[in-house]
Amino acid sequence: MKTSPGIQKKVIESCKNGDEKAFAEVVFHYQKRVFNIAYRMLGNLEEAKDLAQEVFISVFESIKDLREEIKFDAWLTAITLNHCRNRWKYLKRRQYFNSDSLDDPVETEEGTMPRAVVDPSDNPESLYEKKMIQQFIQKGLLQLKEDQRELLILRDLQGFSYEEIGETLGLPEGTIKSKLHRARMDLKEVLERSAH
Amino acid sequence: MDCEKVRDRFSSLWEKELTISEEKSVREHLSSCPECQREFERFEKTMRWLGSMEEAEVPEGFLPELLKKMEERGRAPLGKKTRGKWYRFPLSFKLPVQAVAMVAIVFLVLYLTKMMPVEFYRSKDTRQTAPPLSMERKPEQILTQIEMEKDQRILKTTPEKHRPKDVDLAQAPVLKEEKLEGTYAPPAKSEAKKEVAPPPQAEMTAYPQMESKETAGARAPSPGAGKIEKGLVAKEKSFMGSKLPKEITLKISDREKVIPQLLELIKQFGGEMIAAEGNMFLASLPTTSFSEFEKGLSGLSASTQADKVVVKKPVAESLRAAPSLKREGADEKGRAPTKLEADQENRTFIRILLVPE
Repeated sequence: MKTSPGIQKKVIESCKNGDEKAFAEVVFHYQKRVFNIAYRMLGNLEEAKDLAQEVFISVFESIKDLREEIKFDAWLTAITLNHCRNRWKYLKRRQYFNSDSLDDPVETEEGTMPRAVVDPSDNPESLYEKKMIQQFIQKGLLQLKEDQRELLILRDLQGFSYEEIGETLGLPEGTIKSKLHRARMDLKEVLERSAH
Repeated sequence: MDCEKVRDRFSSLWEKELTISEEKSVREHLSSCPECQREFERFEKTMRWLGSMEEAEVPEGFLPELLKKMEERGRAPLGKKTRGKWYRFPLSFKLPVQAVAMVAIVFLVLYLTKMMPVEFYRSKDTRQTAPPLSMERKPEQILTQIEMEKDQRILKTTPEKHRPKDVDLAQAPVLKEEKLEGTYAPPAKSEAKKEVAPPPQAEMTAYPQMESKETAGARAPSPGAGKIEKGLVAKEKSFMGSKLPKEITLKISDREKVIPQLLELIKQFGGEMIAAEGNMFLASLPTTSFSEFEKGLSGLSASTQADKVVVKKPVAESLRAAPSLKREGADEKGRAPTKLEADQENRTFIRILLVPE
């Protein structure tokens, strides 16, 4: 499990009362998770940073309405995914992802680099650098449907439990499992297609 | 177990969620089916790659930038920040405060403008009823316009046609005279109305053109005539007192030639030039030599319109003014008429307008 342990209830309560330190603590505790979900959902670091900040602004604005502090994690993740969906639609309308294919140069934290063709049957470690593979997977994720991407990110990248995912998305465990399996198989197909 | 069912269990097999018997069945199928075996290997690799995805580091300055962004939008999380505090107050508190603030602003504005609502309306009413200062000048302006219209009309009429010296015709000018002398001071508004109101029937018949705005507009006076008229009016007032001038319009072809002749003629009949402005002259003559002077003028111009004599004294006004004059006369019964008054009685004032043919 990669998820960070939940923040203390009293910190959430302090944050509800407008305590700046508590809010900063909340941001510090969850910023990596929010930022990474946003980054994997959008595939762009700048967009992810901006979106993560918007998420925390929304959190600050609406935390007073949060009734159960214990569900803060799921609540925060739901806000993050909502922001991601809206931003995705916004960017798609502006054809932000139109030229996006698995053959495009990949964006890494160190800059962009040309993409090589991946054959999943080969040993990845011997053929590609780790970062390139990560970008290859990232582009593969972007080819999937939004809800499939959400499930893969929450479960396989962020390590959420089925229960946590269920709380966040409001779906029963069985549905999550079947959808998640379909998403994994689709990602495999996408990566195979791009390799051949 | 067929291939489809085995492939549906890849996720469960990967996450080790299958029962021992299920896992055994799936693995047996995979060992016997190369296609499914290959699919599962690819699935495993995809999952390994997903699992190997590293988390990106949060950009530096994320939190300060976030706080700055919030402050810019007035949503600073600081408890000390008043904007944030106000944002969190319940509506039940905020609404009354806002209502009181609005009322306070209204009264402040009224106070600053030094205008309480009642006073405002009162002053508004006063402004509507009281004559503005500009109205004081209006009758004079209207009269000037009427006079100019008259002059224009005179120009249009034939020289042979003599207009009867109807005292009614002088009604409006008398008002002007009184206004100029400052003795007539009815409410400015009613005075203005009187000035612009349609004239009596007699005047209407004599000046049908005056009632038509269109004709008046078509006979608009030349620019500058109004100014000349005003200047002369002031001089007339100072020289003639209540006596009104006779008006003569001369159609001339050569102005430079006619003016010396005119001056000569005035001198010849014992008169004097009082004022001259542009093409308008004000002269005084002995009353006895006026008819001779008129004949002499016709020599200057073939189309002399000597019939444009206007006696600026309406009958109504003269009648109205008569008792008061009598009273004045009674008050000053013992006082002998001055030399100036005697002179004025014996002299006729003429206003001559030169019009190029």
